[in-house]
Amino acid sequence: MLSELERWSGVLDEGVRRTSYARYLSSWEDRIGAFLELKPDSRLPPADDGKTARGDESLSAVPFAVKDNIAVKGFGLTCGSKILEGFRSPYSATCVDRLLKKGAVVVGKTNLDEFGMGSSTDNSAYKRTSNPWDTTRVAGGSSGGSAAAVAAGMVPFALGTDTGGSVRQPASFCGVYGLKPTYGAISRYGLTAYASSLETPGILAASLNVVEAVFGAAHGVDPMDQTSLEPDAETLSRAEAAQPRKVAVLRGLSGLDPEIASAYARTAEKLSALGLEVVEVDMPTLEYVVPSYYVIATAEASANLARFTGIGYGRRSSSAETPDELVRASRSEGFGEEVKLRILLGTYVLRSGFQSRYYLKAQRVRTAIRNDFTRIFGTASLLMMPVFPVKAFPHGDAGMDAFQQKLADRFTCAANLAGVPALAFPAGTAGGLPVGLQFMAPAFHESLLFRAARLAAGIFPVEHPAGYSEEFLS
Amino acid sequence: MLKEELEITASLAYLHLSETEMGRFSESVERMLGYFETMDRMDVDGLEPTIHALLAENKIRTDNPAPFNNCNNNNFNNNENSNAELLNNVPESEGRLISIPNIL
Repeated sequence: MLSELERWSGVLDEGVRRTSYARYLSSWEDRIGAFLELKPDSRLPPADDGKTARGDESLSAVPFAVKDNIAVKGFGLTCGSKILEGFRSPYSATCVDRLLKKGAVVVGKTNLDEFGMGSSTDNSAYKRTSNPWDTTRVAGGSSGGSAAAVAAGMVPFALGTDTGGSVRQPASFCGVYGLKPTYGAISRYGLTAYASSLETPGILAASLNVVEAVFGAAHGVDPMDQTSLEPDAETLSRAEAAQPRKVAVLRGLSGLDPEIASAYARTAEKLSALGLEVVEVDMPTLEYVVPSYYVIATAEASANLARFTGIGYGRRSSSAETPDELVRASRSEGFGEEVKLRILLGTYVLRSGFQSRYYLKAQRVRTAIRNDFTRIFGTASLLMMPVFPVKAFPHGDAGMDAFQQKLADRFTCAANLAGVPALAFPAGTAGGLPVGLQFMAPAFHESLLFRAARLAAGIFPVEHPAGYSEEFLS
Repeated sequence: MLKEELEITASLAYLHLSETEMGRFSESVERMLGYFETMDRMDVDGLEPTIHALLAENKIRTDNPAPFNNCNNNNFNNNENSNAELLNNVPESEGRLISIPNIL
């Protein structure tokens, strides 16, 4: 039997399959707007060394999509921002390059909240992406385009980035898997930096086997990223031997959509029925996760986004008469509202006189959050949490405002602050919309996440949105 | 947030804010700063700050100049066209030079 990935191999080769694939892509794209650039007609672009394999690799000639804040040579790299309109990437990110070298093919760049800042993908300067399950609702964010494309069956997998939940939250809104690896496990080289100490490329796919195969191909130390890491031998052997025997769940969660609370409780019961020990734990730092995260993320963003000046690349204001004015005008015209807000916040918390009150405090809270994880992983092999307090919300004013969206990051951004891996998995649907939960594990224990998610996959039948088809694969 | 404080912050961030933006941002920045202060309820005495969750030390590569390599990992090359690919993204240039408005 062909693996899930092998079935996709060659779907872009000239012929009947390509024609029906292209038709399928455009029919979904018209409805959900997942892509900022879609080139299904591109021939297999060779990897940079020209040695594209079409041999025995499972990724050979398999199409995939890449969030538009990750560089792919020959494609744009807008980051969902007007400030990078027209930019063409002169190189590919390491994680993309590793997949290209296995023969995989980029079909397009997916939509996102500008620079990854948001939870709906409605903060893109270019277009709105809708949820394939209900197009009046958001796909989540910031990797909303990647999640929507995967859920609609347009690609077998997509790359996203997760700074505070941006892979896992859209994955749960769209009913697919979303892996945020251990910080440093996948190189950040070629990812446009927003919050360097928190973010990582991540993987979205409808199948767990695919997530695992892509992680296997993309991870590893990269000389181009000094923050890329690999586990020492002891951690590695511990991770390989680890089994999902004891799962921690959080006691007394409030503010959850009743259907999410019930999926959380039901999954714990079913895992227990499968022979796992489920233990209730407290996480006292949970209420401080979001303020700590937003202080650190905005501080890092204010520094990272200082590089956009309109001089070396990107949008340049036409009105300026001095270099200083050129930078101010280009940034003011090029950045959107949410990006400006986060730059202002980050600049403020780093201003002299305010640092210890906000930034230093947030870093100390971050230590307490890490300590909480260490304590929990001392008693249980895994921690299971909801991903987001609600299911996919409606576009626009009927949905959540920007402040509410930030508060709702409390279950996701803890893993980014602690650097630990987390995997969002589909936990059925309620009222026609997917519900997602996530497992978190100690650093470099991705294999344990996969083992646990495999058990959970036995609980929930695989579901797809109406209109999903695999006909073009046969 | 005081208008004056927001103006100083915006200037440090190289952003111009219109009057309506000033109104909106002063409200949303204030709201976030108030929310950040919930951290004051937590006792963090004696805790070291975390700058990076997993990094123990800096790893630096040797300080050798090289042309933009246009490729990944160790495949450095000396393709002169690769610099041209970078320069193609410059909004205004003259030959190989990047133009900016007059300094004087």
